[in-house]
Amino acid sequence: MAVCVAVIAKENYPLYIRSIPTENELKFHYMVHTSLDVVDEKISAMGKALVDQRELYLGLLYPTEDYKVYGYVTNSKVKFVMVVDSSNTALRDNEIRSMFRKLHNSYTDVMCNPFYNPGDRIQSRAFDGMVTSMMIQARRGKESLVARAPGAWSPEEAAKGGAEDL
Amino acid sequence: MSVPDYMQCAEDHQTLLVVVQPVGIVSEENFFRIYKRISSVSQISVRDSQRALYIRYRHHYPPENSEWGDFQTHRKVVGLITITDCFSAKDWPQIFEKFHVQKEIYGSTLYDSRLFVFGLQGEIAEQPRTDVAFYPSYEDCATVEKRIEDFVESLFIVLESKRLDRATDKSGDKIPLLCVPFEKKDFVGLDTDRRSKWEGSLQWWRGKGAVHWVSDFLKLSGTDFAALEGLCSASVIYHYPGGTGGKAGARRFPGSALPAEAANRHRPGALTTNGINADTSTEIGRAKNCLSPEDIIEKYKEAISYYSKYKNAGVIELEACVKAVRVLAIQKRSMEASEFLQNAVYINLRQLSEEEKIQRYSILSELYELIGFHRKSAFFKRVAAMQCVAPSISEPGWRACYKLLLETLPGYSLSLDPQDFNKGTHRGWAAVQMRLLHELVYASRRMGNPALSVRHLSFLLQTMLDFLSDQEKKDVTQSLENYTSKCPGTMELLTLPDGLTLPPVPFTKLPIVRRVKLLDLPASLRPQKMKSSLGPSVSAKSPFIYSPIIAHSRGEERSKKIDFQWVQGDVCEVQLMVYNPMPFELRVENMGLLTSGVEFESLPAALSLPAESGLYPVTLVGVPQTTGTITVSGYHTTVFGVFSDCLLDSLPGIKTSGSTVEVIPALPRLQISTSLPRSAHSLQPSSGDEISTNVSVQLYNGETQQLVVRLENIGMEPLEKLEVTSKILTTKEKLYGDFLSWKLEDTLAQFPLQPGKVATFTISIKVKLDFSCQENLLQDLSDDGISVSGFPLCSPFRQVVRPRVESKPVNAAEGGRPGEPCHVKTLEAVLNFKYSGGPGHVEGYYRNLALGLHVEVEPSVFFTRVSTLPATSTRQCHLLLDVFNATEHELSVGARSDEELILHAGECQRMAIQVDKFNFESFPESPADKGQFANSKHLEEERQEARGLEINSKLDIHWTIISFSQTRGASVEGLLNQLVLEHLQLAPLLWDVLVDGQPCDCQAAACRVGDPVRLEVRLTNRSPRSVGPFALSVVPFQDHQNGVHSYDLRHAVSFVGSGTFYLDKVQPSGQAACLGALLFLYTGDFFLHIRFHEDGPSKELPPSWFCLPSVHVRALEAQA
Repeated sequence: MAVCVAVIAKENYPLYIRSIPTENELKFHYMVHTSLDVVDEKISAMGKALVDQRELYLGLLYPTEDYKVYGYVTNSKVKFVMVVDSSNTALRDNEIRSMFRKLHNSYTDVMCNPFYNPGDRIQSRAFDGMVTSMMIQARRGKESLVARAPGAWSPEEAAKGGAEDL
Repeated sequence: MSVPDYMQCAEDHQTLLVVVQPVGIVSEENFFRIYKRISSVSQISVRDSQRALYIRYRHHYPPENSEWGDFQTHRKVVGLITITDCFSAKDWPQIFEKFHVQKEIYGSTLYDSRLFVFGLQGEIAEQPRTDVAFYPSYEDCATVEKRIEDFVESLFIVLESKRLDRATDKSGDKIPLLCVPFEKKDFVGLDTDRRSKWEGSLQWWRGKGAVHWVSDFLKLSGTDFAALEGLCSASVIYHYPGGTGGKAGARRFPGSALPAEAANRHRPGALTTNGINADTSTEIGRAKNCLSPEDIIEKYKEAISYYSKYKNAGVIELEACVKAVRVLAIQKRSMEASEFLQNAVYINLRQLSEEEKIQRYSILSELYELIGFHRKSAFFKRVAAMQCVAPSISEPGWRACYKLLLETLPGYSLSLDPQDFNKGTHRGWAAVQMRLLHELVYASRRMGNPALSVRHLSFLLQTMLDFLSDQEKKDVTQSLENYTSKCPGTMELLTLPDGLTLPPVPFTKLPIVRRVKLLDLPASLRPQKMKSSLGPSVSAKSPFIYSPIIAHSRGEERSKKIDFQWVQGDVCEVQLMVYNPMPFELRVENMGLLTSGVEFESLPAALSLPAESGLYPVTLVGVPQTTGTITVSGYHTTVFGVFSDCLLDSLPGIKTSGSTVEVIPALPRLQISTSLPRSAHSLQPSSGDEISTNVSVQLYNGETQQLVVRLENIGMEPLEKLEVTSKILTTKEKLYGDFLSWKLEDTLAQFPLQPGKVATFTISIKVKLDFSCQENLLQDLSDDGISVSGFPLCSPFRQVVRPRVESKPVNAAEGGRPGEPCHVKTLEAVLNFKYSGGPGHVEGYYRNLALGLHVEVEPSVFFTRVSTLPATSTRQCHLLLDVFNATEHELSVGARSDEELILHAGECQRMAIQVDKFNFESFPESPADKGQFANSKHLEEERQEARGLEINSKLDIHWTIISFSQTRGASVEGLLNQLVLEHLQLAPLLWDVLVDGQPCDCQAAACRVGDPVRLEVRLTNRSPRSVGPFALSVVPFQDHQNGVHSYDLRHAVSFVGSGTFYLDKVQPSGQAACLGALLFLYTGDFFLHIRFHEDGPSKELPPSWFCLPSVHVRALEAQA
């Protein structure tokens, strides 16, 4: 589904960014970077709403010729941006929403790792695997869901992730 | 109509388009001077009318853009002004012809035109013409503005008359159907009700005619959707009188205050009372007909959606988008504005030229900036920059590209000041920032400004180091080296032509400095303050031993200033712990210190750090040239050809223990060299002092050596004072005699020592360690049974005693050295040379040079056993020493003037020395006087030592290695234990036995048989206490010389009087005597044994005190 997934820190620098066509990674960097303008705008527009009523999903940030850029912002102002191939018309808003929720859960797991310093690049294998599953899913279509729940936290993974962080 | 005018905004709908163009050859400068003056007339109040007339000037306008002039009249060129140079009347017709040609180009839409001729004078210029104005020169043309005003007025009259024509024309049918240009060619497929719609809108416009001047032109617009946009424009102009074009104050409204408008401008939908005039009725009418701010956008959307249906209306659509965005920007509705812009991005015009592309991207960038989308703006600006140097362009505009790239910096939250990156870790979008920096580097290089590219590349390396991959690091540094080979990087501020300054980029990360530590001078050069007798240092301190408050404040002070000093003229060091973050070897050249406060000559160093090195210590040195307080503020380096000045203050995560140090006046420097070889031995760690030089020497125990110290003044100041002290570090070994002794006077006579001069100083080293075999000896003594009551007449004997080593053959074989238990001993001492001179001496500083002395003492001779034998006299005794030669040489040992004893290596022999007994009590008991604190044991030790010394000096035992023919002393001090000492000691109770008044000591006293022999026992008490009373009994016996003593002599000897003597108590230093007499009845050799009665207090006293000589009496035949 997704061709690029990015996690952006509160201070607007990338914590994690990965795209499928790796050869033109910079293009996605630019795409995600410019989408922050819209995210900022949407957040500032939302600012007046009460915190608990706030919708985390920002919806379509902007479409480009080939892609659609979706955004999601957590209460701690960490942004998730997902770039989706615009030819994939089968993708509904609800599915995007659930993907973001999955991403958010996995991100929460990363933050739960005591070896992870908030603000560092995310190097967790579990998170990586989850993002990969989202992207592979995109390639193969709906039928091939990875069996393992991507958000599942296991001590081994955490330890590995921690070791990498260290 | 193909070239979009991106600068258009809604207000432009109310303007008249006038093209100003040069004809013939007019220099650009002159043209724009006049153009500027013309453009200043942008708004005119036409007389007799309440309307203000707005004029839009263009110096470049493609005639085909006028095609849409029917549709939107502001696109139509209604006026033409041409400017020309003409210096002679000859050229005039030609120029006039050109003017006409120019008029022809815009002819279809032109209402009026003017020609401004500069330079022509004479009769042609005299002719009054309405369409031509002559000016003598570009300077002398005061009436240009007036002319323009007239010209605009004439335009107005034409328009006004047209309007009046329309207004009076009642039949709408007669109005020609207006078509957009492409409709003329392709009139099919349009919805049929357009016409009626158009009619309606026209009617509507007509009713609204009074709203604004612009509506008059809009009536001329042909199509319905144009009317929609026109309506929007009119409303916009009404709502935002300040203008939407971003050029604040560009438009002026007569009779209105500009600041008030500016204040209102950003309030969406705010109705301004500063209308065009104060006519309230029209005001109301306008407000009624006007669209609300929300509606404006709705209508814009509608209009654009209509436009988008026609491919040929792309430009119009694009322009409408731009206009809408400008309006939305004022309304602060960025999201909607971005949608319009997004739409504009996808409007495909015909194949654009590169220049047009650049223009388009730039304007998109500007518009995004306008709505606060800085990143998007930066993105398009960057695209525009790239477009400037697209490969298809024959002459790439690197300069423009660079300029545009610089403008994108804020969008990528990047500043070119490395200071901004010092605060914590870098938090930015490294991937895009790096890309931009790379592009800046490349662009500046292609611009032909290597200094700039070096600066950008340094910046990239410095700030993005953490994000560069190993390969990238290599590439970047390689290209940096390439650039700097042509243009080295400096620490100067680079100023760009447009005023932007690029601050210098110091490489604080190449290498990374983790810690800066100012080093004290080496111990030998460290200045020390002479303690003044007044002791101000004591008074300055708190009377309390500990106070937390004082300690705290002192700690703060210390953090700034370090409590050691540097010396003027001496090399001072600062240690940096550096770290190379690069995956390859880092060469740092010209690394030196930056200081302030004191003139400092920095001596730069070059270093090469291995790849990914750990912390690596680097020492930077320099020489302070003046005195005062020096602050080390940073360091400078040259890495990859870039000079950097790194200030410690701006280094993140640096540990420093203060950077300020006092520099004191110059002191001399002393270098010492000795006659002894230097050694690698370092003294025991407990020594405390730091030793600059160590010398070592190997000596046999008892040997004395002269150490010649060569003192050289290698400094620049005269050496005036010198003090020498010594400290012996070895406390384990017991040393006898002075280890080190010297005479300083001879050396001091050579002072002051001028720089470069040498003085010598001699120290004698005397090693005298214990010559005993330690514990073994005591056992030997005890089983040897030195008996006081040995055979009285035994003469001293010499005999070869089997050396003890023979009983341990295994040890001897293994060690290969006879004296196995007595290994080499080490003595260590420190000689301190305190010296001073020059200005530093005046200030009260001195230096201390320590010379470490390491002496290995090899065993020479050992006294394996010591014993005494009483001599014939009670005042004398024999000291028996078993001497063992522990060296590998042949030795001769002697005492006083006695003959020498030759000892082979490993041999042991006994030697006997007859000595007078010692009267130790006569020594001054100095330790007892002052040794109140010392315990009794200690006291006793001291006393014993003193006795040892006395004995030793009397004995004067010496040994010589025959092959070396050098006499060395030996000492028995260490081996004299209490027992031996007691024997060597003259007993405090001095017993004298007198036979016939003759002291009887060694010889036999002679007497006659039958004559009574007077026997007197005299006691002299030298002990400090009173002794006695004693009872003595005299036992005569005969020695048969065969081991049989016969005591039954009642028939041979008889006592005259009692055979028992009584002595009263004897006071200290008192004397007592008792007398008796004996009568020998037969001739013969008799011995008298004077025995103490067992009872009485005598038991408390040591038995050696009661050592009475045996009396040998030879009774001779009575004289006839």
